Amino acid sequence: MKLLTHNLLSSHVPGLRPGGGFPLRIELGHPSELPPEPVPDYEGDEEFLRRVHHVLLEVEVLEGSLQCPDSGRRFPISKGVPNMLLTEEEA
Amino acid sequence: LGCGTGKYLSVNSQVYNLGCDYCEGLVEIARKKGDEVLVCDNLNLPFRDQCFNAVISIGVIHHFSTKQRRIKAIKEMARVLTPGGQIMIYVWAMEQKNRRFEKQDVFVPWNKALCSRRFSESNQSGDKGEFVHAAKGQDIHPAQLVISECSYQNNLPPETHSKHSRNMDHCLARACCMKISEEENRFYSALGRSFRSWFFSRSLDESALRKQSDKMKHLKHEGVWANSTVPIQHSRHCSLDLGHHGALVNGQGLDDDDDVFVESLSLKKPQWSPATDALKDLSLNGEHQSVAQSKGDEASFMNGPVEDRDRICGCNKDGAGKSDASKFFKRTSTTDSTDSALDSAVSVGDHTDAVLDTKAFMRYYHVFREGELCSLVEENVPELQILSSCYDHGNWCIIAERRG
Repeated sequence: MKLLTHNLLSSHVPGLRPGGGFPLRIELGHPSELPPEPVPDYEGDEEFLRRVHHVLLEVEVLEGSLQCPDSGRRFPISKGVPNMLLTEEEA
Repeated sequence: LGCGTGKYLSVNSQVYNLGCDYCEGLVEIARKKGDEVLVCDNLNLPFRDQCFNAVISIGVIHHFSTKQRRIKAIKEMARVLTPGGQIMIYVWAMEQKNRRFEKQDVFVPWNKALCSRRFSESNQSGDKGEFVHAAKGQDIHPAQLVISECSYQNNLPPETHSKHSRNMDHCLARACCMKISEEENRFYSALGRSFRSWFFSRSLDESALRKQSDKMKHLKHEGVWANSTVPIQHSRHCSLDLGHHGALVNGQGLDDDDDVFVESLSLKKPQWSPATDALKDLSLNGEHQSVAQSKGDEASFMNGPVEDRDRICGCNKDGAGKSDASKFFKRTSTTDSTDSALDSAVSVGDHTDAVLDTKAFMRYYHVFREGELCSLVEENVPELQILSSCYDHGNWCIIAERRG
């Protein structure tokens, strides 16, 4: 799962407050270097943009989970594929 | 939506493509090809509102078994579109080139043997189904944008995000393929493999569904669900809505019955060798459609009527054995490829004297009449405005835009 995809994802557990499902917290299967914080005025910063491009499109989460910020429900990521299905009880 | 193994994920390399499908097995294959994919439910998409510029749904919503679910699927896809973003939906047409489906709600057979062969190592070799091609894929460098020609839509903005997702109802994460119960096996075997038949039936309305789901209550095989490891899935899934009791969703055809974006429309030959009589009966050899239409660089679907479609996809439907018995007709053999899907289609609600080979599964389709898809959107999804519609390759299709 690329980080750009993560940006589009939201928890759809029923009963959340509006916007309560975003952003999902990424929990990695094993420790890894996380991207740096963005700096202000980044648009003109070529080097920064390059790093952002790398982080968004070239870094992938292979194993781990995505946690809903409000409900705590975890969606697993396995072999690079997030599984966002809810169980029948949840839906 | 309903990306399956990612057939259309490489069609437009100038956009960020995200494929979604209900079936993990298929999605994993797409992943191995290098596609960005995830597993989710078309009826409950895990995306923020208005985050995509484009959505495509090719041969997906005709698997949803009720009008409400089909509407819900479209509404969910509309929800995640940005204002001005566009959606393209393709569904099987009731009206095919030379014939029509007898009813709108049908089961179309699909032979599990094809799929097993395709995915399972333990199966016979020598199978070079279409899938093999799909699975091999190419070496796709994730960060590399390959500029290739798209035979359709060129008017999407560069930052367009396309998304596919395919869904099945109630597919349990690990058990997409249902085994037929012993009882059914015996039942089907008794009828002989060489049988083919027609069934006619009522459409899959709510009351019929309730009856089905009541019957299904007694048949739920939880063990089978949980332990099934057969990764048989193709992009098409049956979405029989049996209420809370879970539908049997399954496996699919190896072929793409609506491969509308392929530039070189060559004859598709079945690459597998028939393993059963049922398979022969499916007239696979006859199934290639030579697509006569010329595809320019423009959106192919704009070029008027096309040849028929393709193929059969089947899915396993446990419940098939449970519906009320009814008369059936013996099918006369046909060599006309274009009719093979129609010939082997079984109307919903019938059955029992099913004639199906034990290895043949059935996939549910609600085939659309002319104008039905448009009406469905116009009457129920006000957030979408239809831009164009046409008949293409045996499909009704529309392009609609999210109102701003």
